[in-house]
Amino acid sequence: MDTVVQSLLNGALMGCVYALITLGLSLIFGVMNVVNFAHGDFVMLSMYFAFFIGSMWGVDAVFTPAITFPLLFIVGVVAYYAIIDGTLRQKYVTQIAVTVGLMTFLRAITQLMWKAQPRALPYSLIQGSIHIAGYNIMLSRLISAVVSILAIGGVSLFLSKTWPGRAIRAASDDLDAASLVGVNYRWTYALAFGLGSALTAIAGGLLMTFQQVDPTMGVRFGLLSWCVLALAGLGSIPGLLISGIIVGAAESLSMALWDPRARSLIVYLIFILVLWVRPRGLFGRK
Amino acid sequence: MSSKPILQVSNLTKRFGNLVAVNNVTLQIHEGEIVGLIGPNGAGKTTFFNTITGLYTPDEGRVIFKGEDITGVPPHKICKLGMSRTFQVTKAFTEMTVEETVRVGAYNRHGEDDVMEKVDEVISFCGLEEIRHQKCGDLGLASLRRVELARAMATEPDLLLLDEAGAGLTAAELAELMEILRQLNKEQSVTLCVVEHVMQMVMGLCERIFVLDAGELIAEGTPEEISNNPRVIEAYLGERAIR
Ligand SMILES: Nc1ncnc2c1ncn2[C@@H]1O[C@H](COP(=O)(O)OP(=O)(O)OP(=O)(O)O)[C@@H](O)[C@H]1O
Ligand SMILES: [Mg+2]
Repeated sequence: MDTVVQSLLNGALMGCVYALITLGLSLIFGVMNVVNFAHGDFVMLSMYFAFFIGSMWGVDAVFTPAITFPLLFIVGVVAYYAIIDGTLRQKYVTQIAVTVGLMTFLRAITQLMWKAQPRALPYSLIQGSIHIAGYNIMLSRLISAVVSILAIGGVSLFLSKTWPGRAIRAASDDLDAASLVGVNYRWTYALAFGLGSALTAIAGGLLMTFQQVDPTMGVRFGLLSWCVLALAGLGSIPGLLISGIIVGAAESLSMALWDPRARSLIVYLIFILVLWVRPRGLFGRK
Repeated sequence: MSSKPILQVSNLTKRFGNLVAVNNVTLQIHEGEIVGLIGPNGAGKTTFFNTITGLYTPDEGRVIFKGEDITGVPPHKICKLGMSRTFQVTKAFTEMTVEETVRVGAYNRHGEDDVMEKVDEVISFCGLEEIRHQKCGDLGLASLRRVELARAMATEPDLLLLDEAGAGLTAAELAELMEILRQLNKEQSVTLCVVEHVMQMVMGLCERIFVLDAGELIAEGTPEEISNNPRVIEAYLGERAIR
C-alpha cells in the first residue's frame, strides 16, 4: 500500500511538469492545427541549454529558465517563420514531414554538440526531501510541480486577460473571422509557436534539477505530451493539468508495481484507449 | 450625397477550377451609400465578398479601397484600412463571451486603456447588454448575427459588408436590424453593402442595387429600376423554374 501511495505521489508531481509541456503543444496544435512532432525535442533542447548554462556559469538549474525562456521563444518564432509558415496551406503530410525533419535536426545538433552520453548538472539547491505522514517527497519534484502549476496559471491569465492572448484565442476559434476584425494571423501564429516552445524551457530547467538529459529524450516527452493532450482534449487548461497528473501517476505506478521498463507501455495504452473510446478527450470541447 | 467612390472594383474574376464564381465584375460604391447586392443562390455574392476582403486572391481584376490598391492584401490589413464584414454562415468566437468578442474587434483601433469604452458603446448601440456575459457558443441565430455585426462595427469600418444579416430573422428582429443599420449609416456615416435574399430589407434599405447572376453583374440601379428590369426577373424566375 505504501509503495502505491508513494509512487502515486511522485507520479502526480511529475505529471504537473508533463501538463506544462503539453500546454505548449496544445497551444500550437489548438491555434494553428500544426502537429508538432518536434515538441518533445524542444524539451530536450531546453534541458541541454539548461545544462550548458548551468555548467558554464554555475547557475542552478531552477534559475536557467530566466535565460532559456526568451531563448526558446526566439527559437520557436524563428522555427515558425522558417519552416512552419510556408507549409500552413499545404497538405498535411508536408507539415508532418517538416516537423519530423525539425525533430531529427534538433537531435542531430544536440548529439553533435554534447555527444550521445547523458549529461547532468551538479546537485540543485532544491535537493533533499520532506516527510509527510510517512511518505517521502523529493523537494525538487515538489517545487517543479508547484512552478509548473504557477506557469500554467500564468499562461491561462495571459490567454484570458491580455490583448495578444485574446487574439490567439480568437484566431484558434475562427481564423477568417479573426482576420477580418484585424487580427494578424502570422503574427498570432508566430507568438503561439514561440510561447509554446518557450514553455518547454521552464519544464527543461525544472527537469534538470533531478534528471539527466540525452539526445533521445525528445521522443519520450513528445509521446508523453501527445498522450496527455489526447486524454485532456483541446480547450480546457484545468483538464490538461488533471490529465498530466493521471498520466504521470499511471506511469509511476506501473514502474513501481510492474516493471520500470513498462512505463511507456502504459502511456501508449492510455493513448490508444482514449483515441478509441473518447476521441475528444475527457475535457475536450468537441 | 457625395459621389466620392469608397470602393472601386474593376474586372474582378474568381475561378474555382472550371467554375467562374465571379466573372469580370466592375462596380463602384460611393461614400455614405447603402447598396444592395442580390442574385439567385450560387450567383457568387459570398465569393465576391471573400475576394474583396482578402480571404481569396482574385484571378483577375483590381480592388481599390479609398484610393488604395488592396488586391491581394491580407484581411487584417484591409480591416485596418477600414473595411469589415459579417458572414452568411455565422463565424462567432464560440469560446468567448459577447463582450470579449466585441473587444477583439475593438482592439483594431484601440489600446487596452480605452478599448472598453468602445466595447460599451457598441454593445449598447446593438442592444446586447442583456447577453454581454454569455458565451457566443450558447447563443441563438438572431443574437449571433447581431454579435457579428457588433464585432465588425467595433473595428470602426468605413465600409461594412453584410452577408445575409437578415436571413432567418423574424419580422420584428428584421425591423430592429434595419433600424440599427440605418442609424449606423446616418450617425456614423458608415457605407454599407448588404447581400440579402430578404427583398423587404433590400428594397427598404438600399439606394442602389447590384444584381449578380452566375458570377456576372447583370443589372444595377435603384430598387424600382431593378424590380422592373426584365433580365433580373428572368434570372429569378429562371431559378424558380429550375427548382
Ligand atoms: N471555396 C469554393 N470552392 C469551390 N467552389 C466554390 C467555393 N465557394 C463557392 N463556390 C461555388 O461558387 C459559386 C458561387 O458561390 P457563392 O457562395 O459565392 O454564391 P452566393 O451568391 O453567395 O449564393 P447563396 O445565395 O447561396 O449564398 C457556387 O457555384 C459555389 O458552389
Ligand atoms: Mg452566399
